[in-house]
Amino acid sequence: MLRNPLLRAWGLLIGLCLASTLVALAVERTSFAGLAATGAGATILLLAWLKARIILSEYLGLAAAPFWRRGFEIVLALYALLLLGLYTIPVL
Amino acid sequence: MSETVETPHPLEQLPGDLMMWVLIVSELLVFGAGLAAFLAVRIGDPAGFAAAQDHLHRAAAGLNTVVLVTSGLLAALAVRAREADKRLRTRCLLAGASVLGLVFLVIKGMEYADKAAAGIGVETHPFFTFYYLLTGFHAAHVLAGVIILGLVGWKDSPRSVEVGAAFWHMVDLVWVLLFPVIYLLR
Repeated sequence: MLRNPLLRAWGLLIGLCLASTLVALAVERTSFAGLAATGAGATILLLAWLKARIILSEYLGLAAAPFWRRGFEIVLALYALLLLGLYTIPVL
Repeated sequence: MSETVETPHPLEQLPGDLMMWVLIVSELLVFGAGLAAFLAVRIGDPAGFAAAQDHLHRAAAGLNTVVLVTSGLLAALAVRAREADKRLRTRCLLAGASVLGLVFLVIKGMEYADKAAAGIGVETHPFFTFYYLLTGFHAAHVLAGVIILGLVGWKDSPRSVEVGAAFWHMVDLVWVLLFPVIYLLR
């Protein structure tokens, strides 16, 4: 386990980047369509939200400011939901 | 006798410079609006957007994400090094972050050259209008960030290093939202 929180955050970010790219490549190379493709898209947005949270919390230091971290996380979650809504409208 | 523990005012809890946070929030709002507009326009032509997206090189953009996230790590470590008064280490870490920023720009330049060679421009499809607008505006921020990291490496007070690194993390943060929406969502 990495003891330095910055190195741990970096490792998580790299893992999440790889995961989202792999999901996108899987969609591209298989015949994902309809709900399966939308589920993959929602997963990619979820991973993006997690990455943004890590950068705010660890790189930008909001982990030490719980009031601001909560505020940013709420706004970020609402924004991710907006993106998810706009993304899923064409398949409804 | 009871002791009262004073909790700091929320504004005092905010790490770094307040004006840098104002800049970070305003930049996030601009890019956030751009990405939301991109997905809103996509509603009218999801198949056309998917076909246009197939011209992008996802693996290169994924590599660029790794480059930028690693650069962000170096900038964050530089802040810790400066707090510990390790000035040479701070400058080396900032230089490393800047070099990775330049690597990002080189990969981005190759991507643009590839599109230009294929005859793909701003007016080819609405997808590419947003693609050039958002990734170009972000690349301009990366260039500005490289210059800022150079400046704070030169004038390396702890406050300057912290503010410069915060700008760099904002660039990082925008990219981790922009990359999946433009390059990955089908």
